[in-house]
Amino acid sequence: MVSRWVLFFGVLVFSLVANAEEKYQFENPQQRADFLLLTKELRCPKCQNQNIADSNALIANDMKRKVHQLLLEGNDKQQVIEFMKVRYGEFVHYQPPMTPVTFWLYFGPVLFVLTCFGYFIYQRRRNDGQNVAQNITGSVDDQQIEKLKRAESALKDTQ
Amino acid sequence: MVKKYLLLFLPLVLFLLLTFFLVKGLFSEARYEVSTQVDRQLPEFSLPDVMDEDQLYTRQVFENQVTLINVWGTWCVTCAIELPFLTSLREQGVRIVGLYFEQDLDPDFGGKSLQQIRTDIRQTLNQLGNPYQFNIFDVNRDYSMDLGVTGAPETFLVDMHGRVLLHHVGDLNERVWQDKFLALYQQAMLEQKNG
Repeated sequence: MVSRWVLFFGVLVFSLVANAEEKYQFENPQQRADFLLLTKELRCPKCQNQNIADSNALIANDMKRKVHQLLLEGNDKQQVIEFMKVRYGEFVHYQPPMTPVTFWLYFGPVLFVLTCFGYFIYQRRRNDGQNVAQNITGSVDDQQIEKLKRAESALKDTQ
Repeated sequence: MVKKYLLLFLPLVLFLLLTFFLVKGLFSEARYEVSTQVDRQLPEFSLPDVMDEDQLYTRQVFENQVTLINVWGTWCVTCAIELPFLTSLREQGVRIVGLYFEQDLDPDFGGKSLQQIRTDIRQTLNQLGNPYQFNIFDVNRDYSMDLGVTGAPETFLVDMHGRVLLHHVGDLNERVWQDKFLALYQQAMLEQKNG
């Protein structure tokens, strides 16, 4: 069963690579690696939730062609990403940059957990403090002890 | 004591917030659309007329005149639906220029001949009305990409300085014209008259 999956994915990956090789020619292996990475990281603006490597929409094919062309012209990865962002917005890249808005996206969950943890600790400390205080006042309140003792002896007398 | 009751309601409040968020998602636009083109100057280009390859156009054709650029193709079903409405806009005096691109003309595969494309265009425009002053042929679809076009139909409203005022994805109909375009169009026309 496992070997069948391995075979399946092996064929899949191989066919993807073979496909890229078939359709696009590169000058060096680095360009090919960049191409494969970029087509995975760039999002198709038409068929959202797919990257342009996966999509067969016209626009995705055009973008792949453009990525290929830009790489052959000597642009690096970041330049290709910028080229696409100028045209299709931040949205087109699957890695959102750090901005005041996306800060909450990145660190919101961590902040939430830390806040909860802090509150938990705070509550525990406060409860402990209250218990200690109660114990102290309990032991110091002689009047009450006196009262209890008297009540006890009164009960004994009636017996 | 009050504090305890407030704490008791906290899960309910959180639940309501979450519900609100999810219900909102249910009815929101399924597609995320942000045009990067608005307020931007049209990019440079040099492209032929779709009917006559010797006639070349540049960005100058969009200067000194408010224009609607309509991205379309004969292969596109929704474009056919909006052609009659666009034609009625032309009859009201709106300047519409087509940015034509061909789906079958994939540079990797080849496809339709230019002659066939022209025959198809003539046929479609005779049938459904011709809203276009002329059609720019975006041969390799490079200019569409420069404009952030994701498909067809899409329409741009461009002012007399060649600046994009509006980028609409999808068909242009009476409702969209009234709601989205009209106010901006009238303002741009006013500027053109006074300038």
